[in-house]
Amino acid sequence: MWESRDAAREARHFAEVWDVRGTILLDETGAYAARLGVRGVPTNVLVDERGVVRAVGVTAPADLDAAVARRLAGPRR
Amino acid sequence: MGPVESAAAEDGAGGLDRVHRVLAQPRVGMGPEAVAVDVRRRRAFVACSRSDAVTAVDLVRMTPVWRAGVGREPIPIVFDAPTGRLFTADARSDIVSVLDAGTGEPLARIAVGAYPAGLGYHPRLRRIFSGDTAAATITVVDADRLAPIGVIPAGLGAGSIAIDRRRDRGYCANFMAASLTVFDPVTLRPLDRIPVGRGPCKVVADPVADRLYVANSLENTVLWLSLADGRVGGSFPVERAPVGLAVSRDGRHVYVCNRGAGTVSVLDVRAGAESHRIRVGYGPGDCVIDPATGRLLVSNAGSGTLTIVDRPWLPGPEAPAGHPAVGRLLPGFALPDLRTGRIRTTREWAEKKYVINFFASW
Repeated sequence: MWESRDAAREARHFAEVWDVRGTILLDETGAYAARLGVRGVPTNVLVDERGVVRAVGVTAPADLDAAVARRLAGPRR
Repeated sequence: MGPVESAAAEDGAGGLDRVHRVLAQPRVGMGPEAVAVDVRRRRAFVACSRSDAVTAVDLVRMTPVWRAGVGREPIPIVFDAPTGRLFTADARSDIVSVLDAGTGEPLARIAVGAYPAGLGYHPRLRRIFSGDTAAATITVVDADRLAPIGVIPAGLGAGSIAIDRRRDRGYCANFMAASLTVFDPVTLRPLDRIPVGRGPCKVVADPVADRLYVANSLENTVLWLSLADGRVGGSFPVERAPVGLAVSRDGRHVYVCNRGAGTVSVLDVRAGAESHRIRVGYGPGDCVIDPATGRLLVSNAGSGTLTIVDRPWLPGPEAPAGHPAVGRLLPGFALPDLRTGRIRTTREWAEKKYVINFFASW
C-alpha cells in the first residue's frame, strides 16, 4: 500500500472500509512503486513462479482473469 | 477549434508548434485532488486532501502563493466568482469550509452529511450542493448566507455533482450504487435515477455539446448521456481508474485523469475516440481547463504536484509500448507488514505465482 501520511492508520482504515484481506505491506514513500514503474493506483502486477513480471495494470476483473489464464495456459519459459 | 485553441496553436516563431508541452509541475501539498480557477486573478486553487489544506497557485509564475488549512481531507473545491470565495468539502470532518480566495482567510464551516466527497455549483441560484458519500444525500447550501437550506436523498456513494444550468437539472454520481441521481436544484426534489457503469467517480455537464460525461472508474470507461433526454449515447475506453474529468470550452475535447496509469486521456468528441494521452504525475485525481489560456491543470495525488499543460489538445511524444517491468525480474522488496509490523521480503513468495495489488487510500 502506497500511503504518505499516517500510513499504518490510513491503511487499516481503508482495509476495514473496503474489507481488504490478505497480506498488506506498506510502501510509505512510494519508492517501491516507483522502482517498478507504477505511476498510479490501483495497479496489479502479475508475477510468475520464476519471479518474472508478466503483466502490469490489469485492474478490470476480466483483464486480470485473462492475464492469469494466459500464464496458466502458456508455455513455461 | 475554439477561440482559445486557435489563438494558442500558433507559436511565437511564426510556425506551428504541434505538440502539447508540460510547462511546470509545482509542488502543492499532499494528496492534491480537485482544482478550481479564478480567471481574473490568474490563480488556481488545489484541495490537498492529505495536507488538510488549500493551496493557491499563481498561474503566471506557476508557483504557490499561499496555503490555508481547512477541515480533514478536502477533496472537491468550488470558486464562487461573485463573492471571491472558495468552498471545499472536507470528507472526514463532515463540513464544507469557506475561504476568502484572495487571502485564504477562513470564513465559515458549514455542517453537511457524512463524508462529503463532491461539490456542485449553480451560480444563478446561488447554491452549492454537497454529495455526502456515506449519508447517501445531497446537502444544499446557500452560497451567500453560508447556511444549509435542504437535503436531497441520493444513492450510496453520492459524490461528484454536475449542474445542467439550461434546464435546471442536477446530476449526482453514486459511486457504490453505480447510478446517477437526477434532482431539481430549485425545488430540491429527486427526479430520477439513471444506472451507469461501476464506480462513477466524476460527472461533468457540457452545455455546448449538450452532454453529460461520467467517469466509470471501475470499468475504465467514460460514458456520455444526452442532457436533453437522459439517454446514454455511448462510451469511450480510457486507461486505468478514470476519476477526474474536464471539458474544453468549445466542447470539442474531454480530458480524463487516469489515476491508475498516471496519464490524461484526451478524447476527441467529434471523432468519438481517444486522440492521445498526456503523461502527468503519479495518481492524477482531477483536472480543470484554465479558460483564459486553454491550459490543462492536473492535480497528482501521488506526486503532490499540479501539472500545467500547454495546448493539451495537441499530441505529444508517443508513450512507450508495453510496461518496462514486464519480462523482467520483480525488484526485491523488504516492507513492513501492516498487521504484524514484521518485515516481509520477496524471498517469501519465491517459486509462487502471485498478484501484487498496489493501492492507496488517496
